[in-house]
Order: sequence, then C-alpha cells, then structure tokens
Amino acid sequence: MEWLNAHIEQIWFLIIGFLVLYYAVADGLDLGVGIIALSTRDEERRAIMMASLQNIWQENQTWLVVLGGILFGAFPLFYSIALPAFYVPITVMIFGLIFRGLAFEFRDNSKGHSLWNLFFGLGSLVTAVSQGFTLGGIFYGIPMEGQTFTGTVWSWFHPYSALFTLGVISGYIMLGANYLILKTEGDIQQQGRHYASIAAFFTFIIAVAIYLWTIARHPYMAAKWLAMPGLLHVAAFPLLALFAFIMCLRSLRGRPEFAPFLWNVAFVFFAFIGLSVGFYPYIIPNMLTIKSAAVSSPKTLIFMLAVIIIVLPVILAYISYKHWVFRGKVGSGDYGE
Amino acid sequence: MDGFTDTVMLSRVQFALTAMFHILWPVATIGVSLFLVFLEACWIKSGKDEYYRHARFWSRLFFLNFALGVATGIPLEFQFGTNWSAFSRAGGDFFGHMLGYEAAMAFMLEASFIGIMMFGWKRVSPQLHLFATSMVAFGASLSAFWIMVANSWMQTPAGGHFDEGKFIVTSHLSAIFNSDMAWSVPHMWAAALEISIFVVGGLSAWYLYKNRHTDFFLNSFKWAVLAAIIITPLQIWLGDGAGRGAYEHDPAKLAAFEAHWQTNPQGRGAPFIVIAWPDPEVQDNRWSIEIPNLLSLLTTHTLTGQVRGLREFPREDQPPVAIPFYAFRIMVAIGTALFLLMLWTLWVWRKGGLDAPRIARQKWLLRTWMAALPLSYFAMETGWVTKEMGRQPWVIHGLLRTGDAASRIPAGTVAASLAAFASVYTFLAVLFFVFAWRIIARGPDSQSEDAGSDANPGKE
Repeated sequence: MEWLNAHIEQIWFLIIGFLVLYYAVADGLDLGVGIIALSTRDEERRAIMMASLQNIWQENQTWLVVLGGILFGAFPLFYSIALPAFYVPITVMIFGLIFRGLAFEFRDNSKGHSLWNLFFGLGSLVTAVSQGFTLGGIFYGIPMEGQTFTGTVWSWFHPYSALFTLGVISGYIMLGANYLILKTEGDIQQQGRHYASIAAFFTFIIAVAIYLWTIARHPYMAAKWLAMPGLLHVAAFPLLALFAFIMCLRSLRGRPEFAPFLWNVAFVFFAFIGLSVGFYPYIIPNMLTIKSAAVSSPKTLIFMLAVIIIVLPVILAYISYKHWVFRGKVGSGDYGE
Repeated sequence: MDGFTDTVMLSRVQFALTAMFHILWPVATIGVSLFLVFLEACWIKSGKDEYYRHARFWSRLFFLNFALGVATGIPLEFQFGTNWSAFSRAGGDFFGHMLGYEAAMAFMLEASFIGIMMFGWKRVSPQLHLFATSMVAFGASLSAFWIMVANSWMQTPAGGHFDEGKFIVTSHLSAIFNSDMAWSVPHMWAAALEISIFVVGGLSAWYLYKNRHTDFFLNSFKWAVLAAIIITPLQIWLGDGAGRGAYEHDPAKLAAFEAHWQTNPQGRGAPFIVIAWPDPEVQDNRWSIEIPNLLSLLTTHTLTGQVRGLREFPREDQPPVAIPFYAFRIMVAIGTALFLLMLWTLWVWRKGGLDAPRIARQKWLLRTWMAALPLSYFAMETGWVTKEMGRQPWVIHGLLRTGDAASRIPAGTVAASLAAFASVYTFLAVLFFVFAWRIIARGPDSQSEDAGSDANPGKE
C-alpha cells in the first residue's frame, strides 16, 4: 500500500500513456484511411475504404473521449491548463470529428456522395492537423508562470508544432495504408503498399528531426542523453523503434499482409515511449511535473485505479470479440448491411 | 446576470447551446434501445416476423439519434476544459472521474456493440445480436447514470471539502450518492423513457392518422400506451420527489422556480403562484395569481409547512427567477398533460376505439399524440433550464461561482467558436430532419423483402 501511495501518479501516467498510444494507433489508422481516400476519384475504392472502418470507427474515436475523461479526472491541473491553451486546435478538431462522423452515417443513405466524401477526407485531415498542433505544442512546452497559462490563443503555432503536425499526418497515412493492406485485396492493397512505403520514409525523417529538436530544446532531456545510466534508458527505445521500422519496410516489400501493420504499431509504440521516457518526470516539459498535475489525494487515484483495472480488460475483451466477428477482407458490398 | 464579463457570458451561452442541443439525441436512444431489446427478445421467442420488422424499422431511427448524440457529445466533454478551466481544476477530482467512468464503462460499451448491432445481422446469431443490442441499451442507461451523478454533485456537492480552490474528495460513495442524485437520476431516466414512448407513439399515431401500415403501427402504438401507463404517473411522482428534494437541500432554487420571495410565517401556509411577474429589484412579484396554502402542501405535504423565501438569501446568492419560474411551469403542465393523454387513450381503448377499422376515426386523439412528441422534448429542456438556472450564481453550489469558473479566453475567440457551433448545430438539425423524414416516408420494409434466411431466428 505504501508503495502504491508513492507511485500512484506514475501508474496513472502509464495508463494515460497507454490510452494516448491506443488512440493514436486506433484512430490514427482511421484518420489515415480518411486522408488516403482524398487521393482517389474512384467511388468504389472509397466505398471499400470506408467499409473497412464502418464497424470500428465509433469505438476508435471513443478512446479519445475516454482519454479526455481520464485526463480530466486524474490530472485536472494539466487538463485545465492545456485545454484553454489549445482552444483553437481542439475546437477545430471537434468540428473535424463531427463532419467525419456524419460522412460515415449519411453517405450510404444519400444519392449524391461528393459532399460526404469531402467531409470524410477533409474531416480526417483537419482532425489529424489539430491533433498534431496540440501534441506538438505540449511537447514543445506551454508558456506558463507558476500554474497559470501565460500565452495567447495562438501560442501553439510555431515551427516545431508545424513539423510535428507533418509527422502526425505521415504517421497516420502510414498506419492507414498498412491497415488497408491487411483489410483489402487487389489494387487497393497494392496502392496501400505503395503509400505505406512513401509515408514511412517521411515519418522516419520527421521522427528523427523531432527527437533531435526536442532534446535540444529541453536541457534536462539532453542531460539524460549525455550521462551514462540515463543514456541506457533513453536510447533503448529509439533503437527498438528503429528495428521495428526496418522490419516494417522489409515486410512492405514482400507478401505478408499482417506484418507491416504489426511492425508499424511496434514502431509507434517504441518511438512514443522513447520520447516519453525523456520527458519524465514532467507532463508539460520543464513546467509541470506529473506529481503536481495529479489530483490532490492519492486516495482518489487509487479508487479510480481499482475501477479502471477491472474496466479496461473488459473493454479490450469485447473489442477483440468484435474484431473477430468482423475479421477478414472487406468488399464493396459490405457497406450498408 | 449582470456583472459577468463578456467571456463568461459567451461561454455560458456556448455551453447552454451545446448541452441543450446534445441532450436532444441521447434521450430517445435510451428508451428506444430498451424497446429494441424487447422486440428482438419477442422475435426470438415467438419467431414472428412482425417483431423483426419492428426492430429493423425502429433501429433506423435509433441509429440516426445515436449518430447525432455522438457528434454533439464530444464538444461537451472538451468544453469543460477549454471554456471552464477553473471549474475543471476545482472539480476535477470528482467531476472528471465521473466523466471518465461514463466514457470507459458506458459509452465505450455502446460504441463497440453498436457496430455489431448495425452490421452484424448476417454475421452473428439472433441471440448474439440481442446480446449486442442489450449491451448498447445497458450502456445508454449507464451513461445517463454517471452523467446525472456528475451533474447532481454540482447541485448538492458532498463527500469532501473545498481547500485552496480545489475540491478534495474524502468519500467517493457520499460524493456519488449526494442528496440531489437520489431523485435526479431516476427523474432524468424516466424522462428519457417518457420521451421515447411519445416518439414511438407519436410517429405511430402519424401513420395511423394517414392510414398507412395501420396493422403494423397499431401494435407499436399500443405498446407505447402500455408503457405510458407506468411511466407517465411515475414521472409525476419522481418530479414531486425532486421538488421536495430541492426544498430540503437547495431551498434557494425552489424559492426561485416558485417565485416565492417571503418565508411564510408560522401557522400560515405558503401560496402556490400560478403566474406572476417576478421582479428582483423590488424582491417581490409585481403581480401574481395565487392558490393559498398549495406550495406548503406540495413541498411539505402539510397545509402550513414553512417554505423559505428568496429574501432570506443575500442578493448576490439569488438565482434568476423569471426564467426558472416559467420553465418549471411549462415542464409541469406538459408532464400533467401527457398523463391525462394516457388516461384518455385508455378510455378510448376500453370502448374499442383502438381497433384497426376504427382507429383512423380517432382524429383528435391521434393529433394529440403527434403533438405530444415535440412537447415531451420541450418538457425535458424546460426541466433542465429550471435546474441549471436555479443553481446560479454557482457552478458548484455554494463552493464555486460561475463567474470565477471560466477560462480566460479572449471574448472574440469564444464568440467565434460560438458562431461556429451555432452554424454547425443548425446544419445538424437540418440533416436530422431530412434523414428522419426519409426513414419515416420509407416506412417499414414489407414482409417479402426480409423473409430471407437471416430473418428467421429458428434457422441457423
């Protein structure tokens, strides 16, 4: 119990990290497919792309709602500083998500498809861009004094967050393309391999640039990279990410259909952990530590942990069951019924 | 409402718009999903195609409402942070957790099983489909539970104390089971069921009125009437309980929505004010029509029970009066009218007026049912206005003032986002009516179309 009291904030930070990762992969592939759909003029192809998402997009998007609720509950100070600071990108993201959702619901029941196609593609792109600027803005650091945000409504807009946004877009396209390889056949699958390789190239370059920029910007992170025990912690994950990336590229060249997606997930996983380990113990770099951002009493966090420890596996179980029900390739006829 | 900065006022308007628009959609999903569980269970048990056709027809309206509920619910969660950051910081320890629970336990359940519900007819057995529908229905009601717990805690905060601008939870159970929660959770849940009853009954009445699919919709009409026998009186009883709850735990709110300014002296009953012109400047009603002793009777169940008047509270702690006063009266009037409509329908039924050949002649009964559909929504919205405006000037009652709870965002930025939300919501409302009309115009599928192998619960 004493150990739990002392480490409860860290445990919650891990849970939040898991939720961010799960959301980034699950909805990332969703948004990626949406962005890819912008590039096609073929209605049947787009129908297949949307059909590949039709029974998962709701739950994938719900992880964002779960993440929002849990951040609010476990790290209210962080929530109350970050959300107003990112008022513009978060509001724009909400509109992106609304229009994207409408496309799923109404495209199938309408005679004309062009409006819904636009909503689907642009909604996905706008959502990805807003998430890029928000996450990039947090990684760069929010202007603060004490526990108050001191920036303006445009403080999130700078070269670092712009680069980060490009990374998010290409990362989502890579995930989406690898997902299409898994769920489709023929031309679309072939196109998926092509897009995945291009997106992988950009994702990798931008990821390396972001790593270097982030370390250069936050001296406490640089210190970890220069001292001996710290180096082992921070360097291990980027190396694993590199390995996963190479494996992903290899599998894209060959025949496998599942491997590119799995290695892609592994790449995101290790790259993200690598960056987060560098951040520790801060939740907003240099400004707000995990401990001070958490709720006041560990008792609250322990109560919430007891609930989430039961709920999370149940969620993962029924979601796995659902993926099992809808396993296999999608065809154009699947949309609708 | 004076004394608020532009940012606070605009954030309030934006939140009211977001919340009032959002709540329109989930309510029907709560009741209709339970109705679908009933239909699918009857179908599996009896094997009658009729139930299957009903399930498919009503589920289309369910999916439409669900889609709009999801689209309009996301802004709500994020606005707590973007526009009410001081509230988030102060109340996050409890309020944030309740939103987290809602998302993880309830909304996730709905969002996952809805995929099987929509696209799983040919992939899973009818039994498993029923299971998926039940999970969606359970998730919808559970979601209402957590949201109402969170909201009721803002009305009567309990289970902790306020320290340096933050609410510190000491007992989660007493925070969850706060005094407002006991009445407001069932009151809202029953409201959702009542609205669903009048959605199903009102739409069925329209088809009966138009003489279309009479046999089909006579069944759903009768199911709605049967459900109304239980729910309409239950809701009046729950509403009475919620009012007495306010009398005990939130007297300023009760005094505001009753426009009751002066505490009645010992031994003399407080009158019920039917209509009035309340004026906070003079701390009294300019004029009013009253029924003697009735307010005492309603709130204390005695003729002369004492009811605290608004003048006992400092001016700066008084809620606005006129809007809650009239909103409350509209809600009560509609709730009563829906109960009377149920009695009228039963009387007609007993005389054989609901038989297939004669139902179309009950023009006025059917028209009233059609009118009851929008009215039931109106009752819910006015109920929320009563509750939320009656809580002012507090956001967490007695602990945090609304004026201190907002984020410091430039007013122009909030005005821009408010304008964007207003236009998008208008667009969503138009979309809803266009697609709802298509579903209604199309009507239920005919038997032959659906009598395929997948539509037979016996065969697998």
